[in-house]
Amino acid sequence: MSYFIEKISRRKILQALIALPALSLFRNRPAVPNPDGIDPDEIVEINGWILRRSDLA
Amino acid sequence: MIFDSYEAYEQASFKPKVCILGSGPAGTTIARKLGAAGIPVVVLEAGSREFSDESQDFYRGTTAGDYYFDLDITRLRFMGGSSNHWAGWCRVLDKQDFEPKAWAPDTGWPISRADIEPYLREVRDILELPDFRPDVPISDDIRWVQLIKSPAVRFAEKFADELDRSRNIAVVLNTYATELAGDGRRVTGARLWSNGQDAGTFTADYFITCTGGLENSRLLLWSNRRSNGGVVPNAAALGRYWMEHPTFQGGNAILANYDEFEVDASNEAFFSPTAAAMERLRILNFGIRLIESPYPNVKRLIADLACTAPDMAEWMSSQLDQRLRCAAQLYVAWEQAPLASNQIELSKTDVDHAGVPCIELHWKKSPLEHRTLLEGLRLFGTTLARKNLGRVRIDDWISNGGDYPTNQETAGHHHMGGTRMGTDVLKSVVDANCKVHGMDNLYVGGSSVFCTSGQCNPTTTITALACRLGDHLSKVITV
Repeated sequence: MSYFIEKISRRKILQALIALPALSLFRNRPAVPNPDGIDPDEIVEINGWILRRSDLA
Repeated sequence: MIFDSYEAYEQASFKPKVCILGSGPAGTTIARKLGAAGIPVVVLEAGSREFSDESQDFYRGTTAGDYYFDLDITRLRFMGGSSNHWAGWCRVLDKQDFEPKAWAPDTGWPISRADIEPYLREVRDILELPDFRPDVPISDDIRWVQLIKSPAVRFAEKFADELDRSRNIAVVLNTYATELAGDGRRVTGARLWSNGQDAGTFTADYFITCTGGLENSRLLLWSNRRSNGGVVPNAAALGRYWMEHPTFQGGNAILANYDEFEVDASNEAFFSPTAAAMERLRILNFGIRLIESPYPNVKRLIADLACTAPDMAEWMSSQLDQRLRCAAQLYVAWEQAPLASNQIELSKTDVDHAGVPCIELHWKKSPLEHRTLLEGLRLFGTTLARKNLGRVRIDDWISNGGDYPTNQETAGHHHMGGTRMGTDVLKSVVDANCKVHGMDNLYVGGSSVFCTSGQCNPTTTITALACRLGDHLSKVITV
């Protein structure tokens, strides 16, 4: 293990850590677009406005 | 022939078969049809050739219930009737307007739209209209409909020369039929008022009242009282089921692309619900009039939207950078529920100069209509949002169930019902041919025979029904 650490630079370790969250992209499972289960096309009525959910911030 | 007084007419020794009361769109159209068929007809017009305050004064009355217009300004009492001030909007009632709605009591006509369609070519000639285009569905719920802005034909101006030349038609001005007399089977005569005094009784084989959507009821109520029920033997519905088209600003819209809908010369486009949507939501017909707004209102609208939906407002702002005039005001007019309690009564205290009781109009909008207004705007807003055509904001007083504003249009000056068409004598006054139930020679023309109002302006349907009645009588009456 110490041999391995000696062979790679600290810069490469940092790059690997940054890339970790992207690994899910390579898994054979679709990403969940909306973890709360909210439909962005749902019609909502707010303050008299008839909007799509996706219009909201 | 046109006579400026009853005295002048009497000199002519004209022998009419038919007497029409009123020279508005219905009366003039029926007279022209009968005249063309060779049937001698007299048209008694209470007013003269021009507007006068003195004549309008005969239309004074009172209203109770919801705010409504003064009755002496919402209609016109001179040759050509209320065609002298109509705006010219034309559309025929929808097919579904004639059909009963299970969720709205007392709806449905004894005729269908197919019964008046054969007369639409004549109507187009009379009202100077191009062909109507079919409705365009923009979703399962909303139709893009057409109201044609016609030249607003003034019937007196357009047809005066023709009427004057006719040997079969005599128009008698300044001659007010104050009451009809009847024996329960036939009208036996009309009591006249001319030159400020009683002018005797006028007789003819047939009488057709075409005095307007308020005045027809008044005339028949008064006549029936004077004749002890001899003019309208089945009078349970007389004066009742009166309707208007309530009209208010209902909200605003921001459109992604105003070119999406072709607008007319007034930058207006019109939308209505589909029959399926009305049935699903158990609402009545309604019309949304979308009018392009001036730019300053758009800024206010975007600012308002930004508080609620910043992402949407940002998108709209980017759209507006390229196209500044893409916002709209939404005006809504809707079909009224036919209610027996909305009725014309005779005043117990006020009479006109000829001694005829003035009208007391009782008119209230119903909860079903408020729901129609709210759900109608929601349907339209949902359609625009789903298709990303724009976004709609419904005015607070509608969303919150508030009172109707008193500083807006209020209604369309469209007077309908009171002598409605039907088969049930307890709920109607005339039959499918516009003949008063139980009477052999009394007919009614005009929007007072409407069973339901639909959402569109009535003149086109009034004219079509008048053509149909004229056609019917041309076959019934032998010369």
